[in-house]
Amino acid sequence: MICLIALVVFGILGIFSVAYRKIALEAFDCVFRRLTIRKCTSGLDKRLKSQITGRLMNKSPKIARFTYKNFELISWTFTIIMVVSLVYSGIGAYNFVMYGNCNGENSQEACVYNGLSDVFNNDDLKLNVGCESPLCQNEDCGCEGEINCQEKRGALCDKACEES
Amino acid sequence: MTLNIQKIREDFPIYKKLINGKPISYMDSACVSLKPIQVIDAINKYYNEFPACGGRSEHSFGKKVTGAVNNARKIIQNFLNAKKVNEIIFTKNSTEGINLITNSLNLQEGDVVLTSDKEHNSVLLPIQLLKEKGIKHKIFKFGDIDDFEEKLTKDVKLVSTAHISNLDGTINPIEEIISLSHENNSLVLIDAAQSAGHNKINVRKLNVDFLVFSGHKVFGPSGTGILYGKLDLLKELKPFIIGGNTVKDSTYKNYEIEDVPERFEAGLQDYAGIIGLGEAIKYLENIGINNIEMHEYQLNKLISQAFMELGIEILGDLDPEKRSAIISFNIKGMDFHEVAGILNESSNIMIRSGRHCVHSWFNANNIEGSARISLSVYNTEEECEVLIKEIKKIKNLI
Repeated sequence: MICLIALVVFGILGIFSVAYRKIALEAFDCVFRRLTIRKCTSGLDKRLKSQITGRLMNKSPKIARFTYKNFELISWTFTIIMVVSLVYSGIGAYNFVMYGNCNGENSQEACVYNGLSDVFNNDDLKLNVGCESPLCQNEDCGCEGEINCQEKRGALCDKACEES
Repeated sequence: MTLNIQKIREDFPIYKKLINGKPISYMDSACVSLKPIQVIDAINKYYNEFPACGGRSEHSFGKKVTGAVNNARKIIQNFLNAKKVNEIIFTKNSTEGINLITNSLNLQEGDVVLTSDKEHNSVLLPIQLLKEKGIKHKIFKFGDIDDFEEKLTKDVKLVSTAHISNLDGTINPIEEIISLSHENNSLVLIDAAQSAGHNKINVRKLNVDFLVFSGHKVFGPSGTGILYGKLDLLKELKPFIIGGNTVKDSTYKNYEIEDVPERFEAGLQDYAGIIGLGEAIKYLENIGINNIEMHEYQLNKLISQAFMELGIEILGDLDPEKRSAIISFNIKGMDFHEVAGILNESSNIMIRSGRHCVHSWFNANNIEGSARISLSVYNTEEECEVLIKEIKKIKNLI
């Protein structure tokens, strides 16, 4: 069932790069065949299995052997985890759109999407991503390698860094 | 003479490449060989110094191209020991040469073409197309001269077979095949795609009527190939593809065909490729075909013995002396694509897996496919030892 994971991963990558679209199509073909109780003929599942086993073989032959022998089981486990995660993400997204919180109406619990609402609603943050951003701390700017100076490097950032 | 393989490997720039920080081990030369710098330089020289038409234009570049192409043809004539230089026709690969012969011979309804049971699709399929014209097809067991004799009936007009099987490296007794065919007044077309560059080929000694090989398997560029034919037979062939440079003159209603070999080389040719192929053949001859054959045999023996000790199933003859530089194998309980994939991922060992364009044999024998190692002069004993070690590890996965 590794092809289902491959379909999701390469389907998303395929939006941005044509190189992944062919693999996504192979994965789709493989998933479709498996759903209709037929053998996957594209060989994608075997390629993925051998790639993973080959890499593991250099690190730990025991883990490689376990993975090779239980590949279908491991694939199913990851597929189930992926499907469950997608379902929960979908519910969270629905709640966020409907109630402004991914945990549901009137919930005060932490929500991973909450940060997004600050970004969407804060004009300053939209424009100022450098060291002059209100979120930028002096200690961040004064320290080489920290996020604001490292990732948001630009005229404003450099200036603020020098000043601090 | 002992070959200095490390020195030879220095000629192949691809060996400087590392994948995931590790060197590559290329063992898929039956598909495409690696290219030495001499060939790459020769191709670049054409594009950098005289990128023009050959055989047509009389300017400085044109004359240089014509000269370089003629020179390449001469090199290949010597390589095959052909009687005349115009017995050498440039094609884009073996497949084109085989199609040219099977379509240009004046085969009539009821005539029989005899091939072996282990032919590449390039040999098999053109014959299957001929069936539409009422031409019959018979099959003998590859390498079995008794079966060949039995199938060689009076109505066999063409025997088309491989010198060395690309599936498992088994060597066909072509000397006997040619001799028996000629006694039967049958023409012989030999597919030397897997033997050229690995074994000495002497077309005059073999007395073969037609022979083809591909440039990309003998260190030459992709898109190049050779068709050798006896001149008197070539002159009798119908043109197959005609157009630019294949005629001396034409009117709205007719044309006057060019001499051999130009009549078979329609349109603008791959001059860079042809010049590169000439350089590749020169490179091969500098190393010495006999030296290459001996080196490849030693490596084949090393791998074959280790595989037999490991209980790995080898396709074809178990004796490496009866096989060329190819080891086709299966590990019981494991898919051949997985074997090739794991070798590639774990140690950059590149081999082929599948049916190697010989689907017919695999279907007839109910075998799904195989993993195939194909060696060349640039492979080393160390590489083979790493391969054996990795195969042991793969076998332990089951």
